[in-house]
Amino acid sequence: MSPSEALVRCEGVSRDFGTGHTVVHAVREATCQILPGSRIALVGSSGSGKSTLLHLLAGLDQPTTGTITWPALEGAPLRPGPIAVVFQAPSLLPPLDVIENVALPLVLQGVDDAKARTAARIALDRLGLTDLVAKLPEELSGGQAQRVAVARALVATPALILADEPTGQLDSETATEVTDALLESARSVGAALVIATHDTAVAGHLDQHWMMTDGRLLVPEPAGDQCSA
Amino acid sequence: MLGVTWMRGLIRRPGRLATVTLGIALAVAMLATLGGFLGRSKATMTQRSIGIVAVDWQVETAPGADPTTVANAVAGDARVHATETVNFGATTGFGATTSGTVQSTGAGVVLGLPASYRATFPGEVRTLLGPTNGVLLAQQTAANLHAGIGDTITIGRTGLEPVTVRVDGVVDLPQADSLFQKVGLPAGAQPQAPPDNVLLLPASLWHRFFDPLAASHPDQVHTQIHARLDHRLPSDPAAAFTTVTGEARNLEVRLAGAGTVGDNLGAALDAARGDALYAQALFLFLGLPGAVLAGLLTATFAASGAQRRRADQALLRTRGATLRTITALALLETAIVGVAAGVIGIGAAMVASRWAFQTWRLGATTLQGVAWSASAALVGIAIAALVIARPARRDARALTVAASRRAVGRPSTPRWQRYGLDYLLLAAAAAVYWLTSRNGYQLVLAPEGVPAISVSYWAFAGPALLWLGAGLLCWRIVETFLRRGRRPLRRMLRPTSGPLAGTVAASLGRQRRLLARSATLAALAVAFAASTATFNATYKHQAGVDAVLTNGADVTVTEPPGVHAGATEATRLAAIPGVRHVEALQHRYAYVGADLQDLYGVNPTTIVDAGKLQDAYVTGGTAHDVFSTLAKTTDAILVSAETAHDFQLHPGDKITLRLQDAHTKTYKPVTFTYAGVAKEFPTAPRDSFLVANAAYIAKATGDAGINTFLVDTSGHNTRTVAARIRNDVGTTATVTDLASSQRIVGSSLTAVDLRGLTRVELAFAFALAAAAGGLALWLGLEERQRTNAIATALGANRRQIGTFVHAETAVVTVAGLALGAATGWVLTLVLVTVLTGVFDPPPASLTIPWTYLATLAATLTLAAIAAAHAAVRSARRSPIATLRTG
Repeated sequence: MSPSEALVRCEGVSRDFGTGHTVVHAVREATCQILPGSRIALVGSSGSGKSTLLHLLAGLDQPTTGTITWPALEGAPLRPGPIAVVFQAPSLLPPLDVIENVALPLVLQGVDDAKARTAARIALDRLGLTDLVAKLPEELSGGQAQRVAVARALVATPALILADEPTGQLDSETATEVTDALLESARSVGAALVIATHDTAVAGHLDQHWMMTDGRLLVPEPAGDQCSA
Repeated sequence: MLGVTWMRGLIRRPGRLATVTLGIALAVAMLATLGGFLGRSKATMTQRSIGIVAVDWQVETAPGADPTTVANAVAGDARVHATETVNFGATTGFGATTSGTVQSTGAGVVLGLPASYRATFPGEVRTLLGPTNGVLLAQQTAANLHAGIGDTITIGRTGLEPVTVRVDGVVDLPQADSLFQKVGLPAGAQPQAPPDNVLLLPASLWHRFFDPLAASHPDQVHTQIHARLDHRLPSDPAAAFTTVTGEARNLEVRLAGAGTVGDNLGAALDAARGDALYAQALFLFLGLPGAVLAGLLTATFAASGAQRRRADQALLRTRGATLRTITALALLETAIVGVAAGVIGIGAAMVASRWAFQTWRLGATTLQGVAWSASAALVGIAIAALVIARPARRDARALTVAASRRAVGRPSTPRWQRYGLDYLLLAAAAAVYWLTSRNGYQLVLAPEGVPAISVSYWAFAGPALLWLGAGLLCWRIVETFLRRGRRPLRRMLRPTSGPLAGTVAASLGRQRRLLARSATLAALAVAFAASTATFNATYKHQAGVDAVLTNGADVTVTEPPGVHAGATEATRLAAIPGVRHVEALQHRYAYVGADLQDLYGVNPTTIVDAGKLQDAYVTGGTAHDVFSTLAKTTDAILVSAETAHDFQLHPGDKITLRLQDAHTKTYKPVTFTYAGVAKEFPTAPRDSFLVANAAYIAKATGDAGINTFLVDTSGHNTRTVAARIRNDVGTTATVTDLASSQRIVGSSLTAVDLRGLTRVELAFAFALAAAAGGLALWLGLEERQRTNAIATALGANRRQIGTFVHAETAVVTVAGLALGAATGWVLTLVLVTVLTGVFDPPPASLTIPWTYLATLAATLTLAAIAAAHAAVRSARRSPIATLRTG
């Protein structure tokens, strides 16, 4: 991966839901690219299309029109691997304890169970969550669960972390903790970070602010990462 | 208004509503079908009881009473349709001179019958040889006198000269026990054996011979009025019994001592009402667990949607809905689901009834059908209330939405598990089983002649406790294995799951309660299906054995009394197409002390296989063991248990019987060696008979003649082969086949269409097993769709998602089948023991319906695989929508 090569590149990407007169244009002709090491806040009101764009960037969803490519990541499966996703809603697997949840992306990659656990323990240590290794998701607070989700995103040493409203269900103090954890994690593994949020306090921690309004993406000029609507 | 909106919302998510409705409908259908069967069975028993009675009432005229007056009184009874007057005269004995030898018998009875008697009571006398009227000699008397048509016999009369008559025919008296009963004996009195020597005379001839005797010895003659009743009786044997016996008592009161009613119809109904209670017990043992299981499955389906319902309720509460409003909405849902399930269930029951019993009606009468349908529908509404209204109200009172999310986790050990309730229940079941399997235990208590009858419902406790204990034990086994067996589980999963084995094992361990519940339901469904199928197969097999015992073989050829066939006859029969083997039997009579018993002469090396003899027919070893003893000892003999007890016999003891000599026609002593007890033997009577070597009997009596041929057709085309044999032998012998015998033998319980019941039960059992294996798992997986979505978002491919799903499927299927098979086996043993009374003869071992069980296992496995496949397919959908719903 070349330092200047884009991690993700979108060209005129749109995503529609439904058909006919009930069609919803969630994302309209978005064009952008994300470079390694970026710190981007994707802001906008609820329903503006932030989450949809994030899911498209993660490869979790397919665009209706336009193209998305991952130039710097070609040849590797996106997940588990170079792209990690943190969701708004609790996303830990209920039957697995914390260390098993964190180790899961590695195990899915085929990494040996013991090695995956060691890596998971390191990721949890990095976020100060060592005490929680044997806990079940239901035994965690909302903030703890999101920080464990961050540790899970970190464990496979991703090049890009995409966080979809990770603090949406948290109080402000916990939200700050989780945002700090995300920033620290991205720094520690040298990953680019994109956080979709409508919380200006969270967005304030990040270098760039991309605005979504009614599915249209607005990017301030000039920027290291260029996106346009 | 809110109710309409709420229901619209429910209908928009029809899956859960439809599943719960169908689950309850299954329980309703099962109860309505089996209830209807029970009602019809009872009606069949009543009709059969009526059918087997030749003479409904035998009214004995009191000494000195005018028979004509009594006859008029009987004929005037509202229920009586027809009457005939029958005279009985005692004889000191019969004598005959045949083939140059003089034969004589002991005391006997001479009946005087009106010319119309045979037409009025066709079942009382069966013609074997000759015309239907005239001087007719009973079969055994003909054998004793060695007399046949055209022979002259003398009738001895006390204090008078003997008279002579010429025999016109030979008859059988199938109802001799009731015909010669001592009318007026108290209930429970020892029944009298019918006389060994009987002669039937036209009424006019009887009066000519016995009116003089009546004048000199009035105690030696008596008169009965035989009556046929109006058979429009209540369908329940117990109610019919009450009606008939009540009217018999009413007649006796009106006769004011001039006559006593021998109530044969009442006695037959008395026996049938006991069988009716057995049918009721069958319904409770085999039907109720299925309905309860359907209810449990429904509760599981309903519970699988509980989380969503709680969330809906929480939303309503935040909008200001009171507990009362939520309860009212739950009751509305209950009512709609209950009524819909009732309608669907009763419709399905009618279809099932039409399919299995060829009738749409769910009972013996329309009214009964409506009553059963209404009862089953009410049970459906009760189940709906239990699975919908009750948890909704409980949740609304006690739970928060956050608390309701706890589907998995670290559950504490349930209290019942800590205290070992499952072990206690199983121990109690074992204790009850021991009590109910002891000798002399009777499930149905129907004292003869006593109006009150009862089922020992205590016996129901055994299977009920076993069901509960086994269910909890299944839960404990699966839960404990998943909790403690993570390491072996990981090793077992390694070949299919690879690096994911540890994670999958951990996931299984944490979901152990969900999986234990699903596996337990599957195990109970398998146990229900397996026990029902095995019980029914065993019952069917024993009914076949009963028919074989009665008929003797697939086809049986019986020579007329006094006619002995030669060995060439067997060779000739064996040449008829369809005949596989012909076994020749000697049938003689032998005096054991003063008691005349049937004696069967057999070839001990071939009779066990040819006669399909079961181990249960003998005591002291297998049938092969006992008959090989007979083969080794030429003069060995098997006797009835009663005879062995009466004469205090021990193996090796010598016993002397009196057998008729072929040349002198006199009875002479023949010594045998007691070798064992025979409880049953083809064509033999139930009470007492003897079995010995045919060669020894032939040598001792000088007669090697054969009376009966047991024809083996390999069970195929018995009627066709019987027809061929009839064509061959003409009227010289009686030919009976197994298929025809099966319709007319056995208790009234075997007359019930258990084949239809089996079809219905097995179909329901199949549906339950498929539902338990597939739907429960599928619903559980549906609830865990979010887990799949997360795993997919983390990068799990379809195969890896499948690893989790298939591991769960394997746990539910393997545990369900293994534990279900074990539980089913134990349950069947208990059922067969507790319901021994329905088997005749009791089974030596269980008959396992392997094809059904294999199909059942395949169905459950396929249902589980299909459910798992559906769950894996659902993971292919974009996980985004699932994850965003939170």
